Amino acid sequence: MIKTWKTGISAAALAGAAALVAAGPGFAQDAIKIGVLEDQSGDFAAATNVKVHAIELAAEEINAAGGIDGRPVELVIYDTQSDNRRYQEFMRRVLQQDQVDVVFAGFSSASREAYRPIVNQFDGLAFYNNQYEGGVCDANMIVTGAVPEQQFSTLIPWMMETYGNNVYTIAADYNFGQISAEWVRQIVDENGGAMVGEEFIPLGVSQFSQTIQNIQASEADFVVTLLVGAAQASYYEQAASADVGLPMASSVNVGQGYEHKRFTPPSLSQMYVTTNYIEEIDTPESQAFLEKFRAKFPEEPYINQEAANSYIAMNLYKQLVERAGTTEREALREVIAEGDVCFDGPSGTVCLDPKSQHMSHTIFLAKVEEDHSISFPRVWENIAPYWLGDAGCDLTQNDPSAQYTPSNPPPAN
Amino acid sequence: MEFFAAAFAMAYQFGDAFAFLVISCAGLAIIFGMMGIINLAHGEFIMCGAYVTASTARMGLPLPLAILCGALVAGIVGMLVERIVIRHLYQRPLDSIIATWGISLIATQGVLIVLGSTMQGIGTPLGSIEVGDRSYSAYRLVLMAAAVALLIGLYFLFYHTRFGVIARATIQRPQMAQALGVDTRRVYGLTFGLGAALAGLAGGLYAPTMTMVPTMGATFIVESFVTVVVGGADIFVGAAPAAVILAAIRASLTAWYGQLFGQIGLLIAVIVVIRVMPGGLSAWIKGTRQ
Amino acid sequence: MDRPDTPHTDEPLVAETQIERRSALAIWISRLEGPQTMGRGPVFWATAALVVLAAILYPLFSDPFAVGNSAYFMVWTFMAMGLGVVWGYTGALSFGQTAFFGLAGYAYGVLTINFGAAYGFTWIALMISVALGGLFAMLIGYFMFYGRIKGVFVGIVTLSVTLVLETFMAQTAGPQWRIGEARLNGFNGMSGMPPLTIPWPGGDVLLYPGVGLYYVLLAMVVLCYLGLRMLLNAPFGNVLVAIRENPERAEMLGYDTRAYQMLSFALGGALAGLSGALYTAWGQYITPSSMGLTAAALPIVWVAVGGRRDITATLLGTLAVLFAFQLLTVYGSQYALIVMGALLLFTVLLTPEGLIATAMRWLGRLVGRAKR
Repeated sequence: MIKTWKTGISAAALAGAAALVAAGPGFAQDAIKIGVLEDQSGDFAAATNVKVHAIELAAEEINAAGGIDGRPVELVIYDTQSDNRRYQEFMRRVLQQDQVDVVFAGFSSASREAYRPIVNQFDGLAFYNNQYEGGVCDANMIVTGAVPEQQFSTLIPWMMETYGNNVYTIAADYNFGQISAEWVRQIVDENGGAMVGEEFIPLGVSQFSQTIQNIQASEADFVVTLLVGAAQASYYEQAASADVGLPMASSVNVGQGYEHKRFTPPSLSQMYVTTNYIEEIDTPESQAFLEKFRAKFPEEPYINQEAANSYIAMNLYKQLVERAGTTEREALREVIAEGDVCFDGPSGTVCLDPKSQHMSHTIFLAKVEEDHSISFPRVWENIAPYWLGDAGCDLTQNDPSAQYTPSNPPPAN
Repeated sequence: MEFFAAAFAMAYQFGDAFAFLVISCAGLAIIFGMMGIINLAHGEFIMCGAYVTASTARMGLPLPLAILCGALVAGIVGMLVERIVIRHLYQRPLDSIIATWGISLIATQGVLIVLGSTMQGIGTPLGSIEVGDRSYSAYRLVLMAAAVALLIGLYFLFYHTRFGVIARATIQRPQMAQALGVDTRRVYGLTFGLGAALAGLAGGLYAPTMTMVPTMGATFIVESFVTVVVGGADIFVGAAPAAVILAAIRASLTAWYGQLFGQIGLLIAVIVVIRVMPGGLSAWIKGTRQ
Repeated sequence: MDRPDTPHTDEPLVAETQIERRSALAIWISRLEGPQTMGRGPVFWATAALVVLAAILYPLFSDPFAVGNSAYFMVWTFMAMGLGVVWGYTGALSFGQTAFFGLAGYAYGVLTINFGAAYGFTWIALMISVALGGLFAMLIGYFMFYGRIKGVFVGIVTLSVTLVLETFMAQTAGPQWRIGEARLNGFNGMSGMPPLTIPWPGGDVLLYPGVGLYYVLLAMVVLCYLGLRMLLNAPFGNVLVAIRENPERAEMLGYDTRAYQMLSFALGGALAGLSGALYTAWGQYITPSSMGLTAAALPIVWVAVGGRRDITATLLGTLAVLFAFQLLTVYGSQYALIVMGALLLFTVLLTPEGLIATAMRWLGRLVGRAKR
């Protein structure tokens, strides 16, 4: 009995390989295979379905324009169901069985940490196209999402200048929230402000009466909200109905889960978010991207920063392979080491930093108005992901394959 | 005045936690507490109620009616589920875990496919009230009142109506009830439907304050099981005092040590209560009475 | 003085000494078959041997991924078999096997990160982790069964335990949460522990998911399965079943049911711990979400779908469900979870004994008829 199942696996796998997105005709050479592991069902589906679509859009464009270096792009897509175990299973599957050249994978930081050991073991290459808490120093990873120094070094000083020095942070009680809160604390301190409160909320909590009361009792001038997940998002509605009335600053909302579209106005009014892309951005590049996207996926509820990052990542990969003349990882990294891998995309010009393999961004300050429309009071051009490099991570020299935080920096040597 | 404001703040927090526990556990108290069916799809009935409430309210129905609509639809769905699935599992309560988990998977993912990953919410009505230097959401006071009204209503239903008497009789001594001419299958169906409708009511009541996603029911499920287990089989003798005690534990731990300890404290309370009084509060209270 | 009945008294004496002469080993081997396990006789054992042989030859005909993936499936079977003993045989539904799974997983991580993998230490770490899982289960079991908690409430207590652990571990992201060198690292999970290693002259053999790990796990599964068969057909197993069928009667017969339940629970915990430590070694990663509600429900599904009252059905059912769910995720796209849900409903409603158990009974009857 065991025997039949197991031959079943390989037979099914073969059938699967044949049924994958067919490459366009007219290409003589082998396809470049790109693995895509994203959550198309489960908790995170709202924010991640659009990433898959962005990758499909980019693949179509690249193939229409003659592929990467004359080779067609072929996508191998799996649904990871917002489940870390599925990431482990499918990361092994794409690297070992489907033999992909590169993988685009992951939404939550936990999912990235789940698959990272496997990428290291098979010495593969993965793009993580998500904004996150920062600090991953790993030669097998390229990160296109924004990191705290890019989002907070812009957002917090601006907020303090505009609204005052007293800051109250509420953050999800896990790595992203705690590390982001650490950044906020540090930047507030450097700018002569004061933390009047800091509260961590376990994931899955949806009732915020006590937290709201604590905020009202404090002298806060604005609230930094680093809440994650659908349950915690209930905070905004509850805070608005209790009439907290303080401006809010965030690095995760709007740009990722398009809360301003989903919630009833004015629950999110006076929310300020630093993001590297959202669909309201009114530049010609953004509008062109939006038009292409809507033409291919008219039903898409919202095109968020992760969609733009995924799209950019596909184009960066194309450039890397074409400049290196191969898909071999070390050759690609040598191209990155030249320090001029840049792309003019929907969010303006972005470049890869050789030391950390993270990406620079144009950071937009998005303000949610009373009626939940978006305005952009401020734009910062070309903000580099400086922290890892300054702290001592240099992937051109060595590869620690670790994640660091401000309170747990790379060992000095 | 200062004192009054502080007292109001504490009472408000306690009332808020109490309302959440009572409203979210009422449906489960009937399905699990009385019928012994472990309903892992409880959260999905809540989600169903919330979705129906939100969509009917957006179509222009006044919110109270929309909430009733949500409860009604959840109740009907509940009766269908009982007829198709649960009916076959009364002799095998543990298998009901798997069956209802299956239902919950189908419901969550089905809603995701059909209605998309999120749904636009409906704002919280009634605005805020000022007490001292703080402001509070007025709607949450309505929720507290709803929790009390719900308990009174259920008490009346089960102790002062014909249906209530028959339902209690059927659940305690099914063979005897059958011998007396009660259509027990119908009573089981109606009772399960009532439980589902109460879950739908919880969803409807909380819909204006929450994010509408297919997985929203999951945030209720731990709290509701905790309350029912601490309360024991009888919702009136058990669940109401359990909600009082747990609300006090949760509100004070959250106020003094933060949300994490509020969460963990609740779970530890369950473990201790089960150990000290295995039948829950209701059995313990009844035991001391004798 | 010749008493005519002397030869009569001699006879049973001889027989008795013969029984005593049977070695303990022979007794245990004879317990491979018995009232508490399905499958007996040469047909069954020949089939079993063929299956094992097929499993041994399988890597020769397959690609490395499929072999590694099969090894991954086998990692979970220990937790399922443990739950089979606790739920199917002893009748106490534990909703919290993941608590012991997670505890052992983290223990393996902490130990190997601190003490490295030299001299086969990973195996010692594995054993310590399993022991910790078992001891923790024994503690919880003592708390529950000596407190006379039964029925659904066992499920609720165990579920609460695993949720407390999950909630607690999820917030250990800060640098202050470390044990020696090992950072617990909160919700993102702990990584960086070595895989299992076999000390070998000229460099340790690292058991990454692949053929090596596959054979090691296959051997462990077979040993564990045969061991459990013997244990369940031994007096210990008979008492467990007696408790499941009627706890009062078992107690009246003079058995301390609390101790038996606690020991069975500890065994289940140790096996869950074995899965946990192996899982951590397999993916070099362990996270609090492996102790969450969804993760806690999964073992129950495997065991129920396979058939909980028989260890063979549990083992085969777990492998079948793991394989089917993965396949569904690959090809079912967004409908995968719906099909899974429908499959569960179908199993519960139509084959209350479990799919595999029903199929085995049916096959057994077929073979019996063919013989006649």
